[in-house]
Amino acid sequence: MSLTFKVPIFDVKNLSFRVRGVDILSNISLEIFNGEYIAIIGPNGGGKTTLIRMLLGLEKPSSGEVRLFGKKLKSFKEWYKIGFVPQRASLVDENFPATVEDIVKMGRVANRGIFAGFSSEDAKIVEDAMLKMDILDLKSKMVGTLSGGQRQRVMIARALASKPEILILDEPNTGVDMVSQQRFYKLLAKLNKEEKITIVFITHDIGVIADDIGRLFTINQKATICNDPKETLSCEDMSTLYGIDAHLIHNHKHEDHIC
Amino acid sequence: MLEIFEYEFMQRAFIAGIFIAILASISGTFIVLKRYSLMSETLAHSALVGVAVGLVAGYNPLWVAVIVAVLSAWLIEYLRSHFTLYSDAILSIILSGSLALAVIIVSLGGAFNNSLFSYLFGSILSVSYEDVITIALFGTPALVLLLLFSKELYFITYDEEVAKTSGIKVKLLNFLLVTVVAIIIALSIRVVGSLLIGALMVIPTSAALQYRVGFRNTILISLFFALFSVVFGMSLSFYFSLPSGATIVLTVISLFILSLIVNKK
Repeated sequence: MSLTFKVPIFDVKNLSFRVRGVDILSNISLEIFNGEYIAIIGPNGGGKTTLIRMLLGLEKPSSGEVRLFGKKLKSFKEWYKIGFVPQRASLVDENFPATVEDIVKMGRVANRGIFAGFSSEDAKIVEDAMLKMDILDLKSKMVGTLSGGQRQRVMIARALASKPEILILDEPNTGVDMVSQQRFYKLLAKLNKEEKITIVFITHDIGVIADDIGRLFTINQKATICNDPKETLSCEDMSTLYGIDAHLIHNHKHEDHIC
Repeated sequence: MLEIFEYEFMQRAFIAGIFIAILASISGTFIVLKRYSLMSETLAHSALVGVAVGLVAGYNPLWVAVIVAVLSAWLIEYLRSHFTLYSDAILSIILSGSLALAVIIVSLGGAFNNSLFSYLFGSILSVSYEDVITIALFGTPALVLLLLFSKELYFITYDEEVAKTSGIKVKLLNFLLVTVVAIIIALSIRVVGSLLIGALMVIPTSAALQYRVGFRNTILISLFFALFSVVFGMSLSFYFSLPSGATIVLTVISLFILSLIVNKK
């Protein structure tokens, strides 16, 4: 692939994570390039979230290395390039005193200097992010009064407000209804195509994967990288990855392979 | 002009009280949202150790209280991050430990008298010119820091991990917040008293949250409630010879109950 000549956004080498002698993830190596649209799937407890947390420096790997835009995690400073939407994003504390605009503005906080307030440019970017996520009319509403789908778009708007190059979403559809989910995937595809934002999301929702996704990573202690997700869906052991049948998962092969 | 403002001691008390209302309500907003409410009680008791040392050793009690409260805040943060302990258990342990230590120091030093009583419950009569200076000296930088980092602190109270992945120095700012809170609490014990200061930090914000408005307005409502309670409570205290801390706390609780009723779902 011609992509391999570029510096990847994420370069993960031999990453392992052990807790009290139990392997949660072992020997994960993968690269994520600019402009990609990647889905990460796998059973509950398979280590998807742990992997993302290690990529973002929230969890320390037992061994291995993560490089961000070519830099080691420790010396990486340009965090605004990364937009993270965590799993519980749509399940906010209902009493938290925040309007939609308050939340989206948070996306600008890390970009400004200590002594600088919000500039008119910041205001423009915040409004633009709300417009893209179709929540501009909800601007003055309290976040606690919104539906799951609306909150999800608020959280993504917050991430977009830092003008990220990559958007990482962990189970973004927790607590979101079906109609909103479809709308949400359309928005993601649009961000990837039109705004050239690299997208990585964790899901267990197999139905939506085939159409827009460029690559698929399946994580169940080890990583399986599938470069053609349409083909992946025909792999006979794929159904075992979705956490439906526990003993089937147990029988799942751990070897790395390319579908 | 009202009679109440003609007395110099009341002028001092009002200046100190207004300063403390501003500090306590703004820092209280972050403390309440971070679920650190109990911390204000614990730090107030640690400040009392400083008062005890000051009274017995003959140093300015307020200065020593500030130092001990800050050290206690750092100890709490250290225990929280380095040991597997529940944070409310840590707070409870340090609260009772501080009180025990304060009582021992005071009884050994023979200073168990009215002077300590005023630090427990607050007394407008006892606010000296020196106290006002100390409150301004420590309170001004504390307020400046809070305002300077209010957006970062707000982000952290909303979601610490997302704030961290956005490049915000979460550890440093949490450390800064507890330090500032410790200073504010130590300064407040003159007017409100160490047993009652928690109320001035926690209740104005809790009342303001009932109105379900954005961040800015929540802080403004909280600030208004704190200012009103301090001014109204101290006036009651003056006219009816009541302990100032207690009247301030009962005033703010009345506002809280009113807010609950007005905003009942």
